[in-house]
Amino acid sequence: MGKLYTFLKYFFITVWTVFVVAPFLWALTTSFKDFNSVNGGVTYIPWVDFEPNLEGWRVLIKSPAQGGVDIVEPYFNSLFVTCTASLVSIILGTLSAYALSRYTFKAGPIKNNDITFFFISQRIMPPIVLSIPFFLFLGAVNLLDSLFGLIVVYIVLLMPIAVWIMVDFFNKVPREIDETALIDGCNPYQAFYKVVLPNSIPGLIVAGMFCIIFGWIDFFFAFILTFTEVQLLPVKIVALNSSITPWWSLSASALVSVAPLIVVAFIVERYLSKGNLSGAIK
Amino acid sequence: MSKINLNKISHSYNPNDPNPTYALNPFSMVWEDGKRYAILGPSGCGKTTMLNIVSGLVRPSSGKILFDEKDVTDLKTESRNIAQVFQFPVIYSTMTVYDNLAFPLRCRNFSQEIVEERVNSVAETLNLKSFLKLPARKLTADQKQLISLGRGLVREDVAAVLMDEPLTVIDPDLKFKLRRNLKEINEKYKTTLVYVTHDQNEAMTFADNIIVMSEGEVVQTGTPKELFERPKTTFVGYFIGSPAMNLFESETSSNNSVKINDTLIKTSTDLSKLKNNKVKLGIRSEFIKIAENQKENVISVDVEKVEDLGNYKLLTAKMGNLTIKSKINRETEVSSEKVNLYIPPEKCCVYEDEKLI
Repeated sequence: MGKLYTFLKYFFITVWTVFVVAPFLWALTTSFKDFNSVNGGVTYIPWVDFEPNLEGWRVLIKSPAQGGVDIVEPYFNSLFVTCTASLVSIILGTLSAYALSRYTFKAGPIKNNDITFFFISQRIMPPIVLSIPFFLFLGAVNLLDSLFGLIVVYIVLLMPIAVWIMVDFFNKVPREIDETALIDGCNPYQAFYKVVLPNSIPGLIVAGMFCIIFGWIDFFFAFILTFTEVQLLPVKIVALNSSITPWWSLSASALVSVAPLIVVAFIVERYLSKGNLSGAIK
Repeated sequence: MSKINLNKISHSYNPNDPNPTYALNPFSMVWEDGKRYAILGPSGCGKTTMLNIVSGLVRPSSGKILFDEKDVTDLKTESRNIAQVFQFPVIYSTMTVYDNLAFPLRCRNFSQEIVEERVNSVAETLNLKSFLKLPARKLTADQKQLISLGRGLVREDVAAVLMDEPLTVIDPDLKFKLRRNLKEINEKYKTTLVYVTHDQNEAMTFADNIIVMSEGEVVQTGTPKELFERPKTTFVGYFIGSPAMNLFESETSSNNSVKINDTLIKTSTDLSKLKNNKVKLGIRSEFIKIAENQKENVISVDVEKVEDLGNYKLLTAKMGNLTIKSKINRETEVSSEKVNLYIPPEKCCVYEDEKLI
């Protein structure tokens, strides 16, 4: 029983790992190939099966005039928009979540839970519903095709995630912590940032991770709300696909685009393995 | 340190309702400077609400709180200069033990030297000296509670230290020691200590004055001796003391005696002004003695069981349908069938409508 269970466990883990890693492996090897090795049958092992070269990667930073695709600018655009929007969302979201968790709001029949649900409902709605209002709104204030306009839109999209995660997290932080801080002589703001916030770092990390992921992978709004001036990475990569860009450059750009998420995953994983995400209180 | 005056305080958690329910019925009380008080009562009787009103976490629906004649009813918690310790350890888990203890002082901008001196002295009292540099979250539950206590005691100038069942999570051995430490701290620094508990032993051994509460009502305030000997209501009689006070349904029969199952018991209470002749007679099991022969106030009972509880024997006996409990000396031999019990008149409490006459 025990042995069979262990065997099955490892078997499924192995199958799943291959399933997840294989596309990356394929992209990684392809990115170092040239025309002949891509078209000459299935090959995997560099230096044995094919002679690796860096041409696929070089193309990414060359300007179109030099025959490259230049994803550098979209890359930094994406980084800037995602990080700024995530940061603002986390700050606003954490403050709203704290208020929703600790104070009682009432406007007619609307109470705290309804406000929280209002935030979440922004994400339940299909994004396409928001596309026309966003387009018209950004057009009206002249922010179409601009980084700032995208940041505003992304804050709208990311803040619900932050609020949602942080409300849940603050609800789990006992009220006595705030009360003790007040008794010890903090004012409510000090109680929040000196005591409650340091206790909520795990929540902040989780919320930040989700914001970064959802911001980074968004294609839909970046596609609709920008034209020529500003381009974000997902849009750029999809555009590569429809042009005559060779497979090796496409693979390289795909790998570059997931790199930040892999970094985020490693940071969070390290944090998780230290056991800091649980037992912060009591 | 100050005298705390609770003036006609009451609290309801739904004050805007047409029929508000009160967590705390109106009461007035003065806590003298430098004394030890225990608030005693079953769970949900309003003890914690009372503490939170004093510390300012809850604003009373009506009434005033005065610290030394200064009205603090609308003063915020952080400006009240009060310390409060909760039932479960609350620690700032991201800080070290030292920083935890120093926090209340640093919040009030005390100088580094004072912080250092006070933290070390409190750590000494609470046996936390060797943990000062450790992160607070690494400690065990009872050590964490010591930190909570320490944060309460670290300021010397607090108006009062309020403790909400602070020793629940601490093991009995240490509990005893800490209770004595708290007493010493109170005697040394003359800090007013208010201690909420549902454990009567804790209240009795700790406090100068006990406030007994039941269902949002302050039932009786007094020294442990007063509460034990003259409980003002049958609730107090029942709640304080182990075993609970013996209470018998009875009828008045003359100006100072009551009748239980046709047996006349003389009391030292004047019963002549009662309108109703239905009363309850209360007598502590500690005061009932075994009698050699029949005389006044001696009742004959059937022994049901005798339990040896180590330092005394608990006799449970029946008189008709009434159960009587009596604490007797361990060395006393008790017959296993019939026994005569003497009820001293001066120890009898007579209750009309559950209230002492």
